[in-house]
Amino acid sequence: MMAAGQQTASVNGYVTDAESGETLISANVAIADSPKGTSTNTSGYYTITNLEPGNYIIVATYIGYQRFEQEINLEGGEQLRLDIPLKPEGYQLEEIVVESERDKEEQSNIGLAQIETELIKKLPSVFQADVFRSLQLLPGVKAASDFSSGLYIRGGSPDQTLILLDRTTVYNPSHFFGFFSTFNPDAVKDVRLYKGGYPAKYGGRLGSVLTVFNKDGNRNEFQGSVTTGLLASRASVEGPFQNGSYMFAARRSTLEPLLAILRQSEDNIPDSFYFFDLNGKVNYRPNEDNDLSLAFYSGTDDLNFPIADDADIQLNYGNQTLSGTWTHIFSDKLFSNFTLTGSRYFNFPSFNIASTPFERSNNIYDFSLKGDFEYLPTSNHGISTGFWMGSLTLKLQDTFDEQDTFSSRTQSQYGSWYVQDKWNISEKWSATPGLRLSAFSEGSYLRLEPRLSLEYQPNDRIRLQGAYGRYNQFLTLISNEAFSGFDVWLTADDGVPPAYGDQYVLGAKTIPWEGYQLDLEVYYRSMKDLFEPDPFLPDQAGLPYEETFRFGKGFAYGAELFFERQMGRLTGFAGYTFSVTKRKFPNFNQPISGGSARFYPPQYDRTHDFNLVLEYELSSRWSATAVFNYATGQAYTKPLGRTVAFDFPTSGGITDQLVVGKVNASRLPPYNRLDISFSRQGTFFGIGEAEWQFQLINAYSRRNVWFYNYDLQENPVEREAVTLLPILPTISYTLDF
Amino acid sequence: MKPSTLTLLIILLLSACDPYQQDSYEEYYVIESYLVAGQQLPHVRFSTTSPVEEEYDFTEVALSGADIEIRKLNADSSIIERYPYRQQNSGIYQPVNSATVEDEQLYELHITSESGDIITSTTYVPGNFQTVNELQDQYVYQSEEQIEITATTSSYITGRQSFYIFTVNTLNPDTSNLTPFYRDLVINEDNDIENYFINSSGIINQRNYELDNQGNITLTVPWLAIAFYGENDVVANAIDNNMYDFLRSQDVQAGGSTLSPSEIQNIRYNVNGGIGIFGSMSSDTNRVVISRSDSSN
Repeated sequence: MMAAGQQTASVNGYVTDAESGETLISANVAIADSPKGTSTNTSGYYTITNLEPGNYIIVATYIGYQRFEQEINLEGGEQLRLDIPLKPEGYQLEEIVVESERDKEEQSNIGLAQIETELIKKLPSVFQADVFRSLQLLPGVKAASDFSSGLYIRGGSPDQTLILLDRTTVYNPSHFFGFFSTFNPDAVKDVRLYKGGYPAKYGGRLGSVLTVFNKDGNRNEFQGSVTTGLLASRASVEGPFQNGSYMFAARRSTLEPLLAILRQSEDNIPDSFYFFDLNGKVNYRPNEDNDLSLAFYSGTDDLNFPIADDADIQLNYGNQTLSGTWTHIFSDKLFSNFTLTGSRYFNFPSFNIASTPFERSNNIYDFSLKGDFEYLPTSNHGISTGFWMGSLTLKLQDTFDEQDTFSSRTQSQYGSWYVQDKWNISEKWSATPGLRLSAFSEGSYLRLEPRLSLEYQPNDRIRLQGAYGRYNQFLTLISNEAFSGFDVWLTADDGVPPAYGDQYVLGAKTIPWEGYQLDLEVYYRSMKDLFEPDPFLPDQAGLPYEETFRFGKGFAYGAELFFERQMGRLTGFAGYTFSVTKRKFPNFNQPISGGSARFYPPQYDRTHDFNLVLEYELSSRWSATAVFNYATGQAYTKPLGRTVAFDFPTSGGITDQLVVGKVNASRLPPYNRLDISFSRQGTFFGIGEAEWQFQLINAYSRRNVWFYNYDLQENPVEREAVTLLPILPTISYTLDF
Repeated sequence: MKPSTLTLLIILLLSACDPYQQDSYEEYYVIESYLVAGQQLPHVRFSTTSPVEEEYDFTEVALSGADIEIRKLNADSSIIERYPYRQQNSGIYQPVNSATVEDEQLYELHITSESGDIITSTTYVPGNFQTVNELQDQYVYQSEEQIEITATTSSYITGRQSFYIFTVNTLNPDTSNLTPFYRDLVINEDNDIENYFINSSGIINQRNYELDNQGNITLTVPWLAIAFYGENDVVANAIDNNMYDFLRSQDVQAGGSTLSPSEIQNIRYNVNGGIGIFGSMSSDTNRVVISRSDSSN
């Protein structure tokens, strides 16, 4: 017991990669043989307060890094600044020593999943190592198809996930019209996904939150990397300057030689088809209590495609983000972040057919200011509070045959405030109650969102968790699962209330054996006032805004099992998901002879989904990676009957009509695919380390079905299976210098 | 109970309880008829659907022996006049007496099948409208001078805005008359030339156009609408709710929306006791000649 009046001490600082100086997010820091511990925040900062004067051993761990231990002596009232450098490991040791009771604090939060950037680079991929493709391997996260990198998380569509790059919202994180995501694995430091039940710190989406932080840049030495592949290449540099660091990374597709070859034998090959993106970050730390950073992203996709004689299509789309962050440590008990963000999404599709031009100009501008504070009044409470306010402008302009056909400009102001307390009730019980208040100017909506998570830890190896949250969404997305180049976002407004829903999550996080992790989560979530453009409206001119939408509801529930081996030559994880999700909209999926609308599963619903990711260190030079996925076939609507309109006055031919029963009540054949990759490490003439990567996508060439196309020109109707990726070999070479 | 056993039990329970199973084919009566203001009463087709895996042949699904009439109605649905029909060919019925379709008038198609089932549908014929400007006799394809039509506006019973479909109907449907874009589609892409005999704009809301001082709208016909050189009828059609619902939902079924490719929807039919369409419209036609430009000769 501490003597009355005796001052306590604290220890705080940044946890960094010893080689690069990069801060590490969610690294675990603890006092050995005590319940005191924490994890670093999104700035890589930790603080442990209310320590009695005395000698301690401070311990820091992070997966992929050697364990750090140091003895410290604390005087009464002392605020010890201790920055902790962690040394990376070659590969996971056979033994992992976990002594602190708070060793795996953040990674074990309910609904939270993390994927390491090194793993992202090692996984087999068609074009480029891809963050979203890697996330799709986690339980609860699904892909719509081989051609879509969209994240379908716990029954939600991609627009239900808030995507933040360096705290800045990204509205269309895709290249090649959705084929893969915009995030460059060379630039990315940390990727974490709150699949559900996410805390009050975040808001604005019904389902989940993905936070991506780019690297700050190597603080110790200059470093670079070049990777060339068959279809795309990338390069990055990073290094230090006085009190700071920088990082720049660029990628570009290299399809031009392939297109040139195809053009010699095929018609209608694009004149131009490429993507390009650039990431950058500059970091400056004038003193140990202040940190300034400026981060940007700019990416674009461009397509110029002659589709027929006297007809061509052009499409240019992309994102740009800019964020400036000031991190200030007020004291050992008060930490803060202030960020100014700017985000732009644009697409400019156009076509000119038979001298009839169509052009669209679609722009989103989002400028915001956010502030986050972390306050530790006692060792049992960690209070976080913050605000986020901004201005969102949506501009959409269509012209057809050189006449304006649609023009809208919506400027919305939004704001939110949150407070949450991580309360360590006892050694075994903790709770995080939170409250978020969100406001949206279009329609003058104000919404209160309670959040609560509870954790019971009966012993060091088991955590039982539960979470509840209310979530609101003021935006909706017009997109296409197969092609995301024309995305348009729309907002709530008068008569168009925000969608809202509740999430309930129960979970058990266990460590069955040292170096292994076994997690189970079950969830239920509701979705109400879902609003999306009425797909049956061919022309919206003259209609009130609220009449251009359909309003529906939905729900999702499921169970996710995750088993991971973190040590030894063979590492990896297996994930299994059981899930059900349904939607219902008025006048949609109702019996043809009359009756009310029925719930139906969206196409991306898969009842069972199993993923296996294995990585094996064959030798000091060679390693192998395998990814296997097996999933229930997606839902589709089976036509049952047919008829024909012969005399339709505005049609030159007959008008075929299919008669369907329940929407999406049938299932495509099960999906399964194996991807394998071999990597060989070496050196490049003494300049640096090099790596060859040989990959085989869809190794046994399973012709998975994307969808069925019904050819009504044939009689009887012929069903054609449109298939996904065939077997694809790829090769890439990376040079690190 | 062990956690793993409990998990398995929950999954099995959840799997077994899904009542959303694929239903099976049901046969429906199908009607088809279109009233055009100012024209004679049209024929009526009466048939059934057929299973999708079977060959579709109208003569196989055509229904004979039906008692069919079109009724002219008051706004309160009371009958003003009956127009009986008789069967001409299998599944095709013609009016016994000729009569002219009136605009701004409510009509009902009433069918009693041979087995006694009743199928009905009503339509309100949109108000007539007409072109008020003089058109040139001839336009040069893709020249700066496009076809421009100024017309009065149509009206509808509910006071809703008018929904138009503009079509360009060729009078010279020959491959040699195809304009370059459509020539490529027909010759190189194996599209059926018949698809372009009537080239349709799709549905266009009246509010796309500003009314001039006389309350008229002006439409410029895009060159994309011209599939054939030579004589063409440029037809403006104001459509009723039945055609509007049919067309917009048929377009969705054919893939023209943001719905997933596998998410096929039924067409929206405003028919009691069956499916199909009993639609109406008013039209205005202008004939023009499209000549080749010097560069395309």
